[in-house]
Amino acid sequence: MKTRREFLRSTVLGASAAWTVPMFVERTFGQLHDASKDLAVQGVTGKDDTILVVLQLAGGNDGLNTLVPYADDTYQKLRPRLAKKEKSIIRLSDYVGLNASMPFLGSLFKEGHLGIVQGVGYPNPNRSHFVSTSIWETGDTNNRSATGWLGRYFDNACPGADPTVGISFNKTQPESFGAVKNPGVCLNSPELYRWIHGGGEQAQAEEFFAKLNQPEEDDDDAPVSGASIDMPAGGKPGGISGETNLAFLERVALDARVSSKKILELAAKHKTTVRYDGFPLARNLNLVSRMIAGGMPTRVYYVSHGGFDTHNQQVNSHDRLLAQLDGALKSFFADLKQQGNDQRVVLMTFSEFGRRVAENASAGTDHGKASCLFVAGPGVKGGLHGKHPSLTDLSEGDIRHTVDFRSVYGSLLADWLKAPDLKPILGADYPKMGLIGA
Amino acid sequence: MLPHAEDPWTLPEAAHLLNRAGFGGSPDEIKVFHALGRTKAVDSLLVPSEPPTAFPRPAWANEEQALADMRGRIEQRRELQKSLRGRSPEEVEKIRREAFQKIQKENRRHALEAQAWWFRRMLKTREPLREKMTLFWHDHFATSIQKVKQPVLMLYQNELFRRHAFGSFKDLTQAVLMDPAMMLYLDTQNSRKGSPNENFAREVMELFSLGEGNYTEQDIREAARAFTGYQLNRLNGKVTHNRRQWDESPKTVFGKTGPFTGADVIDLIFGKDRPARFMAEKIWRFFVDENPPEAAIDSLAETLRKADYQMAPMLREIFLSRGFYAEATVRTQIKSPVQFLIQLLKQLEISDPPAGFPITAEQQLGQVLFMPPNVAGWDWGQAWINTNTLLTRYNLAGFLTKGAEADGKSMEMERAKTPGMAPAPKRMGRGWKGPDYEKIAPRPLRENPEALVDSLVFRFFQGQLPDKARGSFIEYAAAKKGVIFTDKETAELCHLMLSTPYYQLC
Repeated sequence: MKTRREFLRSTVLGASAAWTVPMFVERTFGQLHDASKDLAVQGVTGKDDTILVVLQLAGGNDGLNTLVPYADDTYQKLRPRLAKKEKSIIRLSDYVGLNASMPFLGSLFKEGHLGIVQGVGYPNPNRSHFVSTSIWETGDTNNRSATGWLGRYFDNACPGADPTVGISFNKTQPESFGAVKNPGVCLNSPELYRWIHGGGEQAQAEEFFAKLNQPEEDDDDAPVSGASIDMPAGGKPGGISGETNLAFLERVALDARVSSKKILELAAKHKTTVRYDGFPLARNLNLVSRMIAGGMPTRVYYVSHGGFDTHNQQVNSHDRLLAQLDGALKSFFADLKQQGNDQRVVLMTFSEFGRRVAENASAGTDHGKASCLFVAGPGVKGGLHGKHPSLTDLSEGDIRHTVDFRSVYGSLLADWLKAPDLKPILGADYPKMGLIGA
Repeated sequence: MLPHAEDPWTLPEAAHLLNRAGFGGSPDEIKVFHALGRTKAVDSLLVPSEPPTAFPRPAWANEEQALADMRGRIEQRRELQKSLRGRSPEEVEKIRREAFQKIQKENRRHALEAQAWWFRRMLKTREPLREKMTLFWHDHFATSIQKVKQPVLMLYQNELFRRHAFGSFKDLTQAVLMDPAMMLYLDTQNSRKGSPNENFAREVMELFSLGEGNYTEQDIREAARAFTGYQLNRLNGKVTHNRRQWDESPKTVFGKTGPFTGADVIDLIFGKDRPARFMAEKIWRFFVDENPPEAAIDSLAETLRKADYQMAPMLREIFLSRGFYAEATVRTQIKSPVQFLIQLLKQLEISDPPAGFPITAEQQLGQVLFMPPNVAGWDWGQAWINTNTLLTRYNLAGFLTKGAEADGKSMEMERAKTPGMAPAPKRMGRGWKGPDYEKIAPRPLRENPEALVDSLVFRFFQGQLPDKARGSFIEYAAAKKGVIFTDKETAELCHLMLSTPYYQLC
């Protein structure tokens, strides 16, 4: 297997001075097919492979008003102002129902294309947004890992060096993408995900820009001086041990450059008759669907939906957030179906924690622990997964987790993304859950 | 002592010192600084050279005004309570919410003003090392306005860091224990006898002084009881140690037993060997590079201990050392967003950035002043850079160099939103025309592409660039040199030079 540097050089840099990205991508596939044909799985392969969309519900989603244990007296008693009654939910079982703001997810459930994992969390939960988000993203409950669970998947299960193996539609890179070799790319809006010249003679300027943003030809084995260089790089967010900062910057610059034109082009190309709402989540899922339609080799997309930190007067705001989620997913899956790509996509939601069982004095809820999450798409095994936690056996006012979130990750990695070995990704074995397959 | 750098020093060495110990400067500033000679230049960074009143606080942050406002809010709350009598629960909720939103709105406005105030100070100060150390302490004793909520307390904490910039690490840690913003951030305000909160006890050991593995969970639990009883009086803004809320029973910390207070525990911490090494390592990472050599840390820790934790002698030792100017150190640090922005403005000789530009840029690049992501502070170095932030850096440089009209309106499209913050002003950046290119690249210089590029390379990089890069710039300049090399071509050349991996290093 070639090194990443060699690979990129022989593809994009070996092409001509005019850095045509489509050519790069084409060559990438050629090389990757070659490189991976003897492996049990193919990594970044484009067209027909499975895709995971990770959707973050940022702020701590109130799981108990998402998947509502309407039949539980304790729920009704502890939430006099917030509890949903049986008549105002979408009934899923004798015990739980979906918040009525999510009619699309309700119908998806009935079709068997929505799995709901109940009581997801981890031991010794942390109630800080930051710490708990880190734990979910790194998959490390000690919050010490410098890499993320998806980054480790890219590094360990996706041969090749195409930076678009993972795309996050975010201003900053999610911690879950932290990787030693290939952290994927990160962009906020395709229109701005490019070098904006804005002056005359665009092509000429871009050629110079390209030349300046590619790695030096001959610094691969350049001797490094200084006593401190040999020490292992510790505590950094991924990164190759011993790599200089300049080499790192050149690597990111190259990733940005080769991904930007392609992404911009695809974002403009695919047209859909499906209508999306205008808020960020819907807009970003629309972009994801355009990338998929355009045949990006991306295995994992990451999008966020914020505002779930509902300490105050949460009834309307929380219902509205769920309605936005529902509407965006409705458009997204309709769009994928229209493209004929719906069978290839599974979407998973997550949130850093759930919320306290009892409502607080200002008709909101405070930071809690375990919560529920959704896995959606024709590929999933629909229904309720895991055991709903007891509302009376609480830990500091919070429900206790019944499913470790890494079991969910493990299922999706092994059964959907076909990662051959979970050890290097999750560090340990977690009980598998049958989330995939009819 | 670390081995001394040899005299005389070079212009690039002077630039390196000004970059790392401050936020860089224009070519003229670097030349003046160089003329001082190495030792005098280092000493000039450590002595006060501007009056404490050089940057007046926003009016709302003056003590009397702030106290009056605080009392006013308490009074308003009382009035509000009265007016709620006899109303329906819905009405009560509505009135409460409106009152809350009004306060929130004012807080957000003040937060933006505080952020702009500090940014401007970093840009304009004649004591750059003091501001750089203020930023260091802000990251070390990380506190976020997102939780503290009261901008005035963040500003007072900022002044505390500035006063103690080169002073005793130990005294500053004691002061931080009684700092209102920190008390709210790490919950000491609510920690009392019988229900101690471990937050501060843990972080003071793990993040502020000892590092993981140098204390036990037992030490934390015991210390948490010592950190009880500290209270902020919201009526007069004073912090006191309320003995009635303090757990006076004996505690055992680091194997010593006594009826300790929080201040006693901090004394116990600084009685250990570890804090000096811990700080020496952190300072080395901040100012020099990410892999502190053992020998250097031994020497610096010794200096710090001998000086009873005063920071100035250690800083002086670093900035005079040979290692600081080593080839493996110069131009190898990834600029933080704040460093990137201030340095860029200084190099372009922009003394007043377009309104709203700094905060928008800070948000896009991931370092908003007064808003570190968590108590561990920001992740530095490579963590600043991903494909999106790198392209954003390039495009922010395009906006500054080319002006609002020519940059493709990237700033307008990118109105930043950060949870818990007011969005940046709508009209941000409109009408921005770009820097004064007559000054940056005088007309005669533009006649000669090579001379022009070398002059700009010194302005932006102050050091050697790979031949390939310099060659590209010259080629570009030559290709652009039609009949006249106008400001527009100059701006395009500057933007190209700034749109490179090299420019992200200092």
